[in-house]
Amino acid sequence: MRLIVHNMLSCNIRGVANKFPLRIEPKKIIVKEVDFNPDFLKHMIAKIDWKALVDGARSMGYTELPDHAPDTTTLESDESFLRKFHHSLLELHLEEGSLVCSETGRKFPVNKGIPNMLLHEDEV
Amino acid sequence: MKAALAPSSLTSLSYRTNSSSFRSSLLFRSPSSSASMTTTTTRGNVAVAAAATSTEALRKGIAEFYNETSGLWEEIWGDHMHHGFYDPDSSVQLSDSGHREAQIRMIEESLRFAGVTTDEEEEKNIKKIVDVGCGIGGSSRYLASKFGAESIGITLSPVQANRANDLAAAQSLAHKVSFQVADALDQPFEDGKFDLVWSMESGEHMPDKAKFVNELVRVVAPGGRIIIVTWCHRNLSAGEKALQPWEQNLLDKICKTFYLPAWCSTDDYVHLLQSHSLQDIKCADWSENVAPFWPAVIRTALTWKGLVSLLRSGMKSIKGALTMPLMIEGYKKGVIKFGIITCRKPL
Repeated sequence: MRLIVHNMLSCNIRGVANKFPLRIEPKKIIVKEVDFNPDFLKHMIAKIDWKALVDGARSMGYTELPDHAPDTTTLESDESFLRKFHHSLLELHLEEGSLVCSETGRKFPVNKGIPNMLLHEDEV
Repeated sequence: MKAALAPSSLTSLSYRTNSSSFRSSLLFRSPSSSASMTTTTTRGNVAVAAAATSTEALRKGIAEFYNETSGLWEEIWGDHMHHGFYDPDSSVQLSDSGHREAQIRMIEESLRFAGVTTDEEEEKNIKKIVDVGCGIGGSSRYLASKFGAESIGITLSPVQANRANDLAAAQSLAHKVSFQVADALDQPFEDGKFDLVWSMESGEHMPDKAKFVNELVRVVAPGGRIIIVTWCHRNLSAGEKALQPWEQNLLDKICKTFYLPAWCSTDDYVHLLQSHSLQDIKCADWSENVAPFWPAVIRTALTWKGLVSLLRSGMKSIKGALTMPLMIEGYKKGVIKFGIITCRKPL
């Protein structure tokens, strides 16, 4: 599971208010290289919850991201930032671990990079 | 033969009197569960008490069915687990590659019908796609590649999700697509996240069509489109409350082997969508365009390669294969329809 996906996943247990983001408890992380595409990144940046990305990256051991994303004008020229964004968003993979609901503590397992978000009977 | 309903005619359609009871009902059959079930012969009857355990059983049944049969399907038909789109009355002596092309054409025709590919601006705006009931990810990979977008697929089958990931990696698309084990009726996404919500032949598996449509509407972004391509039963005529008993019997037999909980009609989907504030609701009957498909699948199954693979795959696959003639019968007798329903969420 990459952080671009983590940024879209929320806890869908009935009655939970604090659904997003899910906390990451990693057991196994791998890095898979991806071609650098600045246009894609510039388009995505507006759609990403920045804090969730920074916290997610930190829990996966990557601390290079700034606390705030730069504004769009500086983005054009700041390749170093884009590279860090690229790496954290697309190249860090959670292979094994859990995604944890902040409110209920419920753990959604991640195996072979695939999160299992199925709810139990009593959570629907 | 494609009947697109113009918006003005839709607003004048009145709801059928039983549509509200349908929306709150769960007509449900669990083929694999031995728990007692309330079976009904008309839509709209409620089976809520038995529904809870049955939903679990259905989910498990679907997951196991696809865990077992996915490999076989892929071996014979490739990574698109859906019907091909053919010109009506076209010759059925098509090669394997002809059928694969038809499966791609199904995707393209669906996008075109929905108005996605007729507008360049709209195409550029598609950046996040959800593939609801993604199988081994054929649609996800195709759409992500076509639009340069991020596609998330959800499936009940861990085997499928794993295979989907492997195929994505093999096709160098791992950075654009991802797969989760999740329930289409309880999607793990925040509201309004996806520019395109894609359900290609997965609606058949949903026990609660209203809940299914609610989720699709919830996760689509303002301005985004929903595309549902699904097996339905024929629309009921005015005054008809249910299918004929022989029609229902035919569908019941198919339900059992393919883990389908309930059939509804294209009209039912349109009515469900109408109950939300959506624009451009359109539907069409593509039954004639998929007619060559099942005979072709059967022919493939009857080759040596097909038979050997079938026997190796197990009982669920064999039963599935034996049920295929029923699909042909259903289509021929006008009971089963292949429908597309699309719409757009207002900005």
